[in-house]
Amino acid sequence: MKCLLIASESAEVLFHWTDPEFQQNIQRQYGESQEEGQGLPAFEDSMSTLFAPIIISCSTMVDRLSDNYTSFTTENNHIYVLHQFDECLYIAVNGDGEEGEDILRRKIYVMKKMVEVMFGMVTLSSQLLRRELRPQDTEQRGRLWKHLQSLLETYSHLRENDQSFLVEAVERLIHPTLCEQCIEFLERRLVQQLNSSAERAGEEVLHAFILVHTKLLAFYSSRNASTLATSDLLAIIIMAQNMYPSNEDLDDPSPEDVESTSGSGHESFYTPEPSPTDRDSSSSDKAERESLPMFEFMDPDVQMAEDSLQALEAKMVYIPMMPHSMYCLPLWPGITLVLLTKIPTNAVAMSVYKFLEAFAKLEKCLHEGPEGSAATRGQLAINDIRSKLDKFIKALGPSELQSAQLLNVWTEFKNRAYARGGPGFNKDLIPWCKNMKTQLCGIYRQCFLIDPGPGDIPQRLSQGLQERAQTMAQEKLMDWRDFLLVKSKRNITMVSYPFSKTNPAPFLPTYLEDFPGLIHFICVDRSTGQMIAPSLSITERTTSELGKGPVARFIKNKVWNLVSTTRRFLRKGYSTVTLRDGDFYFCYFLWFENETGYKLEAGDTPILPDDSAPIGMLAWDYYRKLLRYYSKNHQGEVVRCYELLTVHLGVIPTEIILQHCRQLASKLWEPSRNPLL
Amino acid sequence: MTEEHSPLSLGFPSVMAELIRRCTYFFLYDGSKVKGEGDPTREGICYFYPEETPVDKQELLCGQLAGVGRCVSELSSSPVRFLRLRRSKYAIRMKDDFFWALGCSVEVPTTSVCELLDQLINLFCFYNGSVRQSYQLNSQETLAARWGQYLSHLQPGSSEFHRIFSCLRTIDSTNVDPLLLLKAALILQACQRCPLVLAGCILFRGRVVSTQMTPKLTMKVMVHESETYSKRRNGSGASGRSGAAVSSTTVFLTLSELQYLQSAPVDKDLSSHSTPRRDAPQKKTRLSRTLSEMASSESDSSDLGPSQSPQKVSFSPCLSESDYSVSSPAPSQSADPLNLPSLSPEPPFSNEQHSLETPDQSYYQSFYSSEGGDSQVHSKGDGSVFEENSLLNGCGKEFDLRGAESGLEESHDNEEVVGDRGVDGCGSAQGQKAEVQDPPPSSGASDDPEESPLIPMMLYLHRVKGLVLALLVDPPFLSDTASMEEVYHSSLASLNGLEAHLRTISPGALGAPGPYIFTHFDCIQSTLTTNLSGRPGGAPEHPFVRATSLLHSHFCNTKTLQEAIIRSAGAAVYGTRSVAQETYFQQHGGSLRNSGIPNHQDSAFSLPSKARHRLLKHGVNLL
Repeated sequence: MKCLLIASESAEVLFHWTDPEFQQNIQRQYGESQEEGQGLPAFEDSMSTLFAPIIISCSTMVDRLSDNYTSFTTENNHIYVLHQFDECLYIAVNGDGEEGEDILRRKIYVMKKMVEVMFGMVTLSSQLLRRELRPQDTEQRGRLWKHLQSLLETYSHLRENDQSFLVEAVERLIHPTLCEQCIEFLERRLVQQLNSSAERAGEEVLHAFILVHTKLLAFYSSRNASTLATSDLLAIIIMAQNMYPSNEDLDDPSPEDVESTSGSGHESFYTPEPSPTDRDSSSSDKAERESLPMFEFMDPDVQMAEDSLQALEAKMVYIPMMPHSMYCLPLWPGITLVLLTKIPTNAVAMSVYKFLEAFAKLEKCLHEGPEGSAATRGQLAINDIRSKLDKFIKALGPSELQSAQLLNVWTEFKNRAYARGGPGFNKDLIPWCKNMKTQLCGIYRQCFLIDPGPGDIPQRLSQGLQERAQTMAQEKLMDWRDFLLVKSKRNITMVSYPFSKTNPAPFLPTYLEDFPGLIHFICVDRSTGQMIAPSLSITERTTSELGKGPVARFIKNKVWNLVSTTRRFLRKGYSTVTLRDGDFYFCYFLWFENETGYKLEAGDTPILPDDSAPIGMLAWDYYRKLLRYYSKNHQGEVVRCYELLTVHLGVIPTEIILQHCRQLASKLWEPSRNPLL
Repeated sequence: MTEEHSPLSLGFPSVMAELIRRCTYFFLYDGSKVKGEGDPTREGICYFYPEETPVDKQELLCGQLAGVGRCVSELSSSPVRFLRLRRSKYAIRMKDDFFWALGCSVEVPTTSVCELLDQLINLFCFYNGSVRQSYQLNSQETLAARWGQYLSHLQPGSSEFHRIFSCLRTIDSTNVDPLLLLKAALILQACQRCPLVLAGCILFRGRVVSTQMTPKLTMKVMVHESETYSKRRNGSGASGRSGAAVSSTTVFLTLSELQYLQSAPVDKDLSSHSTPRRDAPQKKTRLSRTLSEMASSESDSSDLGPSQSPQKVSFSPCLSESDYSVSSPAPSQSADPLNLPSLSPEPPFSNEQHSLETPDQSYYQSFYSSEGGDSQVHSKGDGSVFEENSLLNGCGKEFDLRGAESGLEESHDNEEVVGDRGVDGCGSAQGQKAEVQDPPPSSGASDDPEESPLIPMMLYLHRVKGLVLALLVDPPFLSDTASMEEVYHSSLASLNGLEAHLRTISPGALGAPGPYIFTHFDCIQSTLTTNLSGRPGGAPEHPFVRATSLLHSHFCNTKTLQEAIIRSAGAAVYGTRSVAQETYFQQHGGSLRNSGIPNHQDSAFSLPSKARHRLLKHGVNLL
């Protein structure tokens, strides 16, 4: 019984996803009044009718009480979580007890993130976004919704099964030698060759990385590229997984299987059909390659000093979302090469962003009041960009419909704002600010979202070039393929130690020997957004040291619950938590270090409201904000943030458990033994 | 130390303001009144708190919340239980066409808000019976006043911890001679010798001294007591007078409550053969709060009774005890005191004078006896009775055993209204019996007074200055002059003595603030021990209160969780719980400065052992 719905203020359904049970439930309630077999539109109507009173009540509450619903719980434990972003209301429902309020809220934020990744700065205009999310054409709408639905399902699957999506940090394959070789390959051969090719149509590869399932084998960024945020990297992994889902039954070979199949017969592992996710997939013979326009978030104001996380939110008017192309090249099932390129018209996006920001600032100032410094500040913001915007519009050329409209609105705006004896900078200008923003978003949409005509096709890496990249990578990794597939399932286990450069002795102690009573741990470096944890494989076929099936599943559930519990405490300012629960003893620690590994004094962690954005790095990077918040008192020092979660048997004395935690905390990140390089 | 001063009594205006701010709204909305398109929302508003809220805002909140509630419950085929907004949260109850909402600020744990609303509704039902019928029989204004009173009883004056745990306010047992507690327990047991007395409790200045009832029931009973207590204190001329008075009021028990009371062990030697449930020794000691704190052997001495042991108590009615047990078949009614007309020969309005000699007082007391014959009930019954003296419950009445005061405070309209509340099948004592003997399938499982039939009972109160003996009695008790007198006389001297002793006990000087804070909640008895309240630090923003509140809701949600340590930059708090208790502990002083990195020498991790040692002297055993 699950559902996620996006609705406009006028109760129009902009997107919905339901699981079969929920759909049946709706149909049952609507069964009498509806003929059968009417398909999608009919179901959509039922959804909108049933949810309309809730949606309308939300608007009423906002208008008249300036408050809004954040959740409902019924006596049979159905949970409804609501969140309004701009003019879009997101509602997530769970009626089967599998998802709590925090998970539903996270889902909403992730959905919003995926929408942003797909539509970039168009999301800044609710008016345009509404049209984008709900295309008039039913078939087109069906395709788009299906794509979004499958992204959501992929995400949910990963959150439920993949530790790296549980804690929202990237997991790397622990194999320093291979990893180093691959980075070298990406840098010296692949990226260099691609960027020097004439077939790249002006695009430039900024980031290239290899994924084995959801784990990162190697990552290379070119020197002039901005850092790819963990949030974006995780979103890209979701998209890659959505295109080439890991088929758990097939590509979970036991070691014996690998013996017998190494070298050949890889067809048997072949992922059946990559789901057609994008208009680019129309070229069916190249269906295994996908490229997507996507929008990477850039952080324009790293130096910003903020007093609290909330203040930070208020200060950042917009986050610029820069258009990129994403190429996802499957090497073998489960192993993917991803390329992120800068597109040639990138500069337009930056300009649009600056203009948008100026108008948003002005609007805010005008809201604050006509008199005093506010209006002046707003005026200054516009004066700064006035001539630039004139030039920008000129450069766009009058032929484009959208730019003609922009020109009209801009002219009208200037008339009102600057004309002698005219109204000038006052509240009357607010609608025109909004209008300007809509027009600018429209330009952005036209440049980056609309299907280029057939003539424009070469504006991307050519098919040949993509194939070459694929082949090069395949050749490089051919001998490692099966190893990688197994390794990704057993990256670290409790009976092995991660490889160590300094201590490559064959008989390494194991976690089990070094830490008797330790059942599981997760360690996260929040500064880099990377995590390390023993594999928790719970498929029926593999026997992990946690045993098969039920026991492993039980422990997995405990770990999942522990993470959500500790987040609840962290939200309220508690950075250390220990829990004695049944036969287990759980620990959670969050701490800060400087670059040299010196442990810094614990600082206050801010207390967040219950309905604040979920703690994590995927949809809303809590940790980056926490780091900045903490760094206020550590000027000029690089501060790092770490987390450690452990699960011990409850019979182990607490002192021993804490000693284990301490050893793990220092060992895992010791420079000499750092498995993450 | 039991919290002795609530923040309010120490007069922190900011705390008062805080409390009022925290419970934002409460309303009862009757959807059946607003069915048609044109019906104005205000028609459905039965009660809205704060009452001074502008009507259009009341309409907005009621309309929106009830509307959204209905929509969601249709989608999920289940009533809404909880609704959260950005700045407040609401516990919801939907039943038939009624919609209750209790809004609190977001810091209050969700489970606590829900519990508070349940308490409120249960309280209303306890004193008024079914909600629907109450609204049929009474004016909205009358009932609004009652909601207001229940609300004000549950809300202010309670510390943050009381808000979190919803516990009983008890006297400081560490400060009281255990013999006094034993004495209180014995008074109650002596009263139970009369078979018409189900169970009782003794309260002193709004705090529990001893109780035989479940915590929830005790809490309900206390509302009436504190209401009359404060009325007396504030009433003109009544305050400070050493007046002892007896009063009674009709109350409504749920079937499960009644069954629990009837199955409880009562010291009735003459009928030891009866119901199998009655004599579980553990239950017996647990029932009486005070006795549980004594050596078990002491509880055996109960039958010795206080020195004023009521020799005159007639034991014959005890033979009918089996009549009260749920399982027994209805016997011939001839021996049943409920229906003995000979016991109620006087007409209901007669003010018969009984001469009662008490050790320290030797004047006549007027005994406004009331007779509960069925015939009278039916002939007199009408809704007007609710307009009587007590706002808490219109059908309450007071018996003044001293003629001096008679007629000043109480209405003499001593109508017996036991059977006339229109509750199904309760029109007569026999009807009531029939119902008791025929429990619905869900008997005992539900505490929801709206789910199960409500059975009218009487609450008998005997006040000696600040001390009150409250007894839940079968309605015929009030017409059974002999029993009533027996109970009265047998307990009077003991109550006087107990009152005199309790009065002399100083409020218990709070020791110097120790190097630690703790709070200990006894889930079975619903009692709280803490050394925090009374200091300004009891405010919700106090780190310890915040941590306790958070841990408590986590304990509620995770059944397997036994203990937890949580630490922020400023404070480390240890919480532990078992089936019977929850304890929270924070150590002051010492440098909490740390890196947050795991370290077994960290002071936070020594909290469990410190708590074990420190709390022993408060009678809290964590070993």
